[in-house]
Amino acid sequence: MIADTAGRVGNGGSYSAQSPLGSHASVLQRVGRTLPFSDERHLQAHQWLVDEAYLLDAQRYGDWLALIADDIHYIMPVRVTTALGAGYDSAPGMAHFDENRYSLGRRVARFQTEHAWTEDPPSRLRHHVTNVRTFATDDPSHLVVDSGVLLYRSRGDVREPTLLSAGREDLLRQTADGWQLARRTILIDDSVLRTQNLAIFL
Amino acid sequence: MTNLDTLLSDVRRGMIPAHIYNDEEIFRLERERLFNRAWIFVGHESEVPQPGDYVVRRVLDDSFIIVRGEDGQVRALFNMCLHRGMQVCRAEMGNSSHFRCPYHGWSYRNDGRLVGLPFHQEAYGGEAGFPRRGQGLLPAPALDIYNGLIFVSIDPDAPPLADYLGDFRFYLDYYTKQSATGIELRGPQRWRIKANWKIGAENFAGDMYHTPQTHTSVVEIALFREPKAAKRKDGATYWAGNGGGTTYKLPPGTLEERLRYVGYPDTMIESMKRCWSPEQRDVVGRDGFMISAASVFPNMSLVHNWPKVGDSDRVLPFISIRTWQPVAPDETEVLSWFAVDAEAPPEFKSLSYKGYLMCFGSTGMFEQDDVENWVSLTSTAAGAMARRLLLNSRMGLLTDGTPVSRALTGAEFAGPGEARVGYAEHNQRQLLSTWADYLQRPSEPQQRTRLGAAVNDPPGALAAQPGKAVLA
Repeated sequence: MIADTAGRVGNGGSYSAQSPLGSHASVLQRVGRTLPFSDERHLQAHQWLVDEAYLLDAQRYGDWLALIADDIHYIMPVRVTTALGAGYDSAPGMAHFDENRYSLGRRVARFQTEHAWTEDPPSRLRHHVTNVRTFATDDPSHLVVDSGVLLYRSRGDVREPTLLSAGREDLLRQTADGWQLARRTILIDDSVLRTQNLAIFL
Repeated sequence: MTNLDTLLSDVRRGMIPAHIYNDEEIFRLERERLFNRAWIFVGHESEVPQPGDYVVRRVLDDSFIIVRGEDGQVRALFNMCLHRGMQVCRAEMGNSSHFRCPYHGWSYRNDGRLVGLPFHQEAYGGEAGFPRRGQGLLPAPALDIYNGLIFVSIDPDAPPLADYLGDFRFYLDYYTKQSATGIELRGPQRWRIKANWKIGAENFAGDMYHTPQTHTSVVEIALFREPKAAKRKDGATYWAGNGGGTTYKLPPGTLEERLRYVGYPDTMIESMKRCWSPEQRDVVGRDGFMISAASVFPNMSLVHNWPKVGDSDRVLPFISIRTWQPVAPDETEVLSWFAVDAEAPPEFKSLSYKGYLMCFGSTGMFEQDDVENWVSLTSTAAGAMARRLLLNSRMGLLTDGTPVSRALTGAEFAGPGEARVGYAEHNQRQLLSTWADYLQRPSEPQQRTRLGAAVNDPPGALAAQPGKAVLA
């Protein structure tokens, strides 16, 4: 796969591999061109993403965690504005999320207490998932899926709603229980986030 | 608006007019009288280690290129072309020997010197029309560095940074001088919150009282064992020089045992012992207090905590540095860096970074609940009713001004300044009293810099009008 000048491949790249917290993650990469939209693998991947978006909208995080592989690496780099040709587009050694199963589990457990004030009352969330492209990998039980996600987040009745736009690259793994998320890279489209916190998942 | 003197005297006695957290007039005064004078943290030397490395940072609306020149010196160059005022650098970070304006092509070396002026002879008549020699991007009026922390001030007469920080340097060393090399910074994460900038600075300066309530969930999920009310109120708050902070009381033990208790490996403990003064060692080893959150006036904060970073009982400390950069009366851009001792073992650095992400910053589980509170406060502070309400910020004082708990003696607390055990708002009052002192003092005439010269410039044209006092 040909990387662009900032090292991106589709919505992914070497972000996971370069993270000090990503060494446990699968390094499988996409192979070949986008699968046809009629391909059964693409249809399954697309449905998985839409079903997942519903769980994230509804904040059914316990159910969401059941879709996450034990060796998950979930990374959202900090994007920075760099000159064209600088060779990088994110802050070295820093991310917003750089998660494994333990830390995602703690985040979900916190939301399940009665004292996570930032989401009580909860935000109204809508994850709009689009631009889904599916790729094969060298391992038939894994697919790489690129998608765009636009999160609309509205809190209370006074504040302006906020929008988060991102490209995602997912590594999906076929298991006896269905597809699981084994790696996710979230390329947020802002260098300065316009939302009060990331008490949400993308 | 209320008379300024009355407002400031209310603030000084700890009765805070609620509208100061969302008020255009106050914000204008803060711009003119505070942020044009105080020392403002903009970055760390480790962010620009090589010649040509730069980051772009703002002080309110002023954009500065923080750049290391070929001579190794760090400068803060005002990011505005001398000709038509374009930003000469539109990236946030990078490495460059020159900055060239995209508008007409004037170019500057990374020490600020103007070196390229297209058609200088044809357009200006050369040096006779526009003397190019000696011109350069405007430097920040003052720049100073402590433990690699880069501060700028818009006031050319700012006191030396060391004097400004004063005895707070003693505490700053715990965060930034754990070895001879010092810290390295990563980030920052940046995000905007609809909250007034002062709230975060006050919170980090001394609010131990909020921890057990706001952060209940973090204790419930066993991420952090300390914030329980019983432990938090045993800590001390201190104020020294131009900053103050909070501490936790650690279980009995030696200096080494206490540093191990919060998760430092022995190699780091040995280097801390070498770098810290006997008094710095005593605050931890003899007195049992471990630094946690802190603020430097006006808008820099630090935090040091020790969460569980994996599915075991092991805890590990992390350090974060942040600024609360004002955008508007009701909006703040947070810049939050992860900081770690440069000599720390690689595994420690990785796990400490993990701890930071879980606790603070844009995704941090402590920070998430803090910001929810501050946004709510700010939006409520905008209305007419908030102008009638004086918030009580007198915790720690009886109505006659007698402190609820006495100041610790030198035998109980080896650090400089004034320290007291338990919940109180001494530090928040101190921060806002300093704020009041700045807002009270009218601004001085500004010096202007101009380029080239016309022969008929009137004498004294360089002095601007004195800043007009906005409030009587």
